[in-house]
Amino acid sequence: MFDVGIVGGGAVGSAIAYELSRFRLKIAVFEKEPDVCFGASGRNSGVLHAGFYYRPGSLKAKLCVEGNKKMREWFKLLKVPFKATGKVLLAFDEDEVKELYKLKEIGDANGVEGLEVIRGRDKVNQICPGAGEAIACLYSPMTGIFSSYLLTIALAETAHQNGVKYFLNCKIVDVRKENGTFKLKDQRGERYECRWLINSAGVYSAEFSKIVGVNGYKIYPCRGEYLLLDKALAPLLKMPIYPVPSKEVGGALGVHITPTVEGPILIGPSAEYIDDPEGYESTPEIMNKLFEEGYKLWPYFKKSDVIRSFSGIRAKPVPPGEKSFFDFVIKEEESIPNFINLVGIESPGLTSAPAIARMVREIIERKEKLLIKEDFEPRYLRGERFEELSEEEKERRAKEDPKWGEIICRCEKITKREIIEAIENPLSAKTLASIKYRARAMMGRCQGGYCMPKIIEILEREFGYKPEDFQLHKEGSWLFSGRMRKDD
Amino acid sequence: MTKEMICILCPNGCNLVVYFDEKNPDGFKVENALCPKGKEYAQSEILDPRRTIATSVRVEDGEIPLVSVKIDRPIPKNKIFDVMREIKKLKLKAPIRSGTILISKVAGTEANVIATKTVERVK
Amino acid sequence: MIERDVVIIGAGPAGLACAVKLKEIGVSDVLLVEREKKLGGILNQCIHDGFGLHNFKESLTGPEYIERYVERLKKFNIDVLSDTMVVNLFQDKSMILSGPWGRERIRAKAIVLAMGCRERTAGAIGLAGSRPAGIYTAGVAQRLMNIDNYMVGNEVVILGSGDVGLIMARRLTLEGARVLMVLEKLPYSSGLPRNIVQCLEDYGIPLYLKTTVTKVYGKARVEGVEYVSLDDDGKPIPGSERFVKCDTLLLSVGLIPENELSREAGVEIHPITGGPIVNDTYQTNIDGVFAAGNVLHVHDLADWASMEGELVAEFAKRYLEGELSKAKRWIDVKAGKGIRYVLPHKISGERDVNFLFRVDSPYKNRYIIVRDKDRVIKKRRVINLHPAVMENINVKSEEMKGIESLEVMVE
Ligand SMILES: Cc1cc2nc3c(=O)[nH]c(=O)nc-3n(C[C@H](O)[C@H](O)[C@H](O)COP(=O)(O)OP(=O)(O)OC[C@H]3O[C@@H](n4cnc5c(N)ncnc54)[C@H](O)[C@@H]3O)c2cc1C
Ligand SMILES: Cc1cc2nc3c(=O)[nH]c(=O)nc-3n(C[C@H](O)[C@H](O)[C@H](O)COP(=O)(O)OP(=O)(O)OC[C@H]3O[C@@H](n4cnc5c(N)ncnc54)[C@H](O)[C@@H]3O)c2cc1C
Ligand code: SF4
Repeated sequence: MFDVGIVGGGAVGSAIAYELSRFRLKIAVFEKEPDVCFGASGRNSGVLHAGFYYRPGSLKAKLCVEGNKKMREWFKLLKVPFKATGKVLLAFDEDEVKELYKLKEIGDANGVEGLEVIRGRDKVNQICPGAGEAIACLYSPMTGIFSSYLLTIALAETAHQNGVKYFLNCKIVDVRKENGTFKLKDQRGERYECRWLINSAGVYSAEFSKIVGVNGYKIYPCRGEYLLLDKALAPLLKMPIYPVPSKEVGGALGVHITPTVEGPILIGPSAEYIDDPEGYESTPEIMNKLFEEGYKLWPYFKKSDVIRSFSGIRAKPVPPGEKSFFDFVIKEEESIPNFINLVGIESPGLTSAPAIARMVREIIERKEKLLIKEDFEPRYLRGERFEELSEEEKERRAKEDPKWGEIICRCEKITKREIIEAIENPLSAKTLASIKYRARAMMGRCQGGYCMPKIIEILEREFGYKPEDFQLHKEGSWLFSGRMRKDD
Repeated sequence: MTKEMICILCPNGCNLVVYFDEKNPDGFKVENALCPKGKEYAQSEILDPRRTIATSVRVEDGEIPLVSVKIDRPIPKNKIFDVMREIKKLKLKAPIRSGTILISKVAGTEANVIATKTVERVK
Repeated sequence: MIERDVVIIGAGPAGLACAVKLKEIGVSDVLLVEREKKLGGILNQCIHDGFGLHNFKESLTGPEYIERYVERLKKFNIDVLSDTMVVNLFQDKSMILSGPWGRERIRAKAIVLAMGCRERTAGAIGLAGSRPAGIYTAGVAQRLMNIDNYMVGNEVVILGSGDVGLIMARRLTLEGARVLMVLEKLPYSSGLPRNIVQCLEDYGIPLYLKTTVTKVYGKARVEGVEYVSLDDDGKPIPGSERFVKCDTLLLSVGLIPENELSREAGVEIHPITGGPIVNDTYQTNIDGVFAAGNVLHVHDLADWASMEGELVAEFAKRYLEGELSKAKRWIDVKAGKGIRYVLPHKISGERDVNFLFRVDSPYKNRYIIVRDKDRVIKKRRVINLHPAVMENINVKSEEMKGIESLEVMVE
């Protein structure tokens, strides 16, 4: 019997697990995918928002501003790459300038620090080189960029290190409440029990709420496609460049250009309602559109700079055509005590994650006293980056262990030791994508052309993988149909 | 009869034009060949098309699990899959030296299967 | 810091040939650095034959071709550091080496870049659809099969008709997979004609020209692809979409010279070849940094890459001896009508030059012309010109006396 069961191991679920792991609680996280960052938490812009888009007084506004501060502490504790870049919203005509002032007003009301409307082409370009013909901008110094999948992984692995149990490949399909206990069943028929149940199932949150017995929520999957540009362009872009928010889709911030902490530049996301909550596709129409819209905002790239495309899916609580403001739902359901629902955690869900976790903790504390665990370790004890060490230190380590000397990924210069650390992750996530996200291998220019066969060799020789054990990112995503020459 | 074909003997890939009479194999005339091999090729391609193949054989205890192999002379085209079947059955133990004959007269042809790589033994 | 006379980065056909040649002509302090355990570069996985027709006058497989060089390397006792990657290269010709043995910074008087190339990926060609398992570049599939003993799939569609893709079509067929079709967006194949015959036609594999993949289906593993016909401008023809069920998509959509290190050191890169800009001594904009093989421009034949390595060896030797005098002026070589690129990019006019070039589309019965404005320096008739085949034309220094510009063109 667990004290707390969390359904969905994305950034939100794992932030809650991390927060609650400070206390003497038995906690389980159930994640249907083979790893924790395969949902929205690994497919987004990775922007630490400041909080000027959201209606004053709303949860989105409060939690975003609170999360923005708290997250900076978390980044340090959890070794998550973060850059305090600041950000600009560009205005190209007077109507848009008016919008900037409106947003500044909202931001000020929300308690966002340092917002400033800057007028004049030269001044705008001074703040943000490459802003081009923009006549004004809203400059937000509190905005920054970070690695969202490394955040999610670090949260999960640190929670795990503090005793939280992670069940991967475990989809909760049935929940009943009997005598104050939630009885959960997964897709294989395995059963689990818990006293508190938390729904952080992202784009499936409405569906899962229904499974527990609370109807009335609906999520409309809304796809955001991205293009990734070669990191050779990185020196040209200092900070995210956003347009004045689009009015087409409620809550969408519009196609922006964002540097990433890894180097490649993001263009996107588009906003398109689709039926499939996992319809992660790139479409020719949108790819063209992104290219054009991105080019309007920041005309410094060519077709051949595009190295990859991907998409993420927003858990939108608003249907197509609806433009009014919808807030996060974060509450204990009255009809089912001890069931905490989190629905519609779309942007700024990542930024807000620490604050969401705090709120969930307080909901529990209203009913019971939580006892601090003395040996709680808030720091992520893994995830060191060899490439970031000084040259002297690198030489010292390479002498100490041949695995620090052997470079496996030539694009990102990842050592064999880092690859092995990623393979030996505490969650026992086994897919190639799990290694990719942890070690940041197979992500560079060649997209694994050089290192993928090497990683496969390590998995085979040092971890005994058989051809059928190799999966890319999902159940059924086999890499090999077998041996070319069989042994029998 | 005339026939156009691409000579595959070397990367030049000459566009050969072949004039021939099936009853008189000596009466071959070949145009557009950059070298004399082109004529030989055309003749063989029409009367008795042949190919060489290259593939791999399983090696145990080697630094790599496969040794690359080839056949040392062209075999009739319709024998390719027979030869492949024989090669697939073979299993070797390292070390293997490049140039070693692994199967002689494979699948009833005149060709030998030979290793094209050296695979050292490990442990 | 240790200093060496010549450091060659990469031991493929170009680097190996360069190392052997340097020793042959009497340069004694040569270090060859290779990141793989085995020397030979990409040819270790090219187990088919067709190599060495020029350099050894016989048809060898890739591994056999390499073996010939490795034997000579041993004979000359050349200093080789394999399993060692050059991770950084600096403008002062120092570099950081890293391998299981450790990590160290060394410097060289002369450097030969011979890092080869890498493949273009799905992202780079803007492939639409989902991103399931089962999308491989042809070279990766070749390595996984020929070296690591894995089968990459059962029912295969190949996008792009480059040579690696064609070779893999045959390879997969021989190993029992079904290659359903090869699709090429251009009106002609970018592979050698002989490979179309012996890799596709022999096995009845259809090649559809002016056709491309527009969408990949499947969430976990590839379940099929949608492909369309293209019009003369390369735009999809509406209504021509078809679907084919398959579990694997192989991409053979081009090779890109591997110049991360060169860029880091400040070597100027040519926008079309993707390789360094070199003069008629194969020197880049950094004195004493030379380039040869696929890192300079993508070769269709390993033999040419080796020959380039040998040529560079001669220039590197003369550089070390202080005999590569600086040219009084550099003349930019222009790729004229019908030419995609010409190498070298700059000439002094004082030295014989073998211009290497590729045409921009197939031509029949044309002239290759080298000229200085209206003055024709050289003219040669050719029957067949194909973008897949690298061509060359030799010009003597006497013929270039007094030139002010130089252009190579097809007429
Ligand atoms: C395109 C895009 C851009 C964004 N940009 C930003 C940004 O720049 N800044 C920002 O702050 N926010 C951004 N967001 C929002 C942010 O990504 C999300 O709010 C956040 O990732 C939500 O985290 P989550 O854990 O709720 O969801 P997810 O990461 O989707 O996690 C939910 C998990 O639940 C699992 N699950 C579902 N059902 C079950 C079940 N029955 N049993 C077990 N497991 C289940 C899923 O597999 C999934 O892993 C963006 C979102 C998108 C889509
Ligand atoms: C997948 C593929 C298949 C091919 N098939 C054929 C074919 O069938 N027939 C044919 O004639 N040609 C073929 N080619 C082309 C032919 O291989 C090349 O022309 C030839 O190999 C080029 O030789 P190279 O020495 O320039 O490069 P490569 O053979 O690529 O060698 C470069 C070497 O440099 C090493 N290296 C790179 N970076 C570093 C570093 N930082 N530190 C240390 N070492 C480094 C690499 O490991 C490699 O060994 C193929 C090319 C590819 C990519
Ligand atoms: S005819 Fe000679 S030159 Fe022409 S392709 Fe055949 S072998 Fe090569």
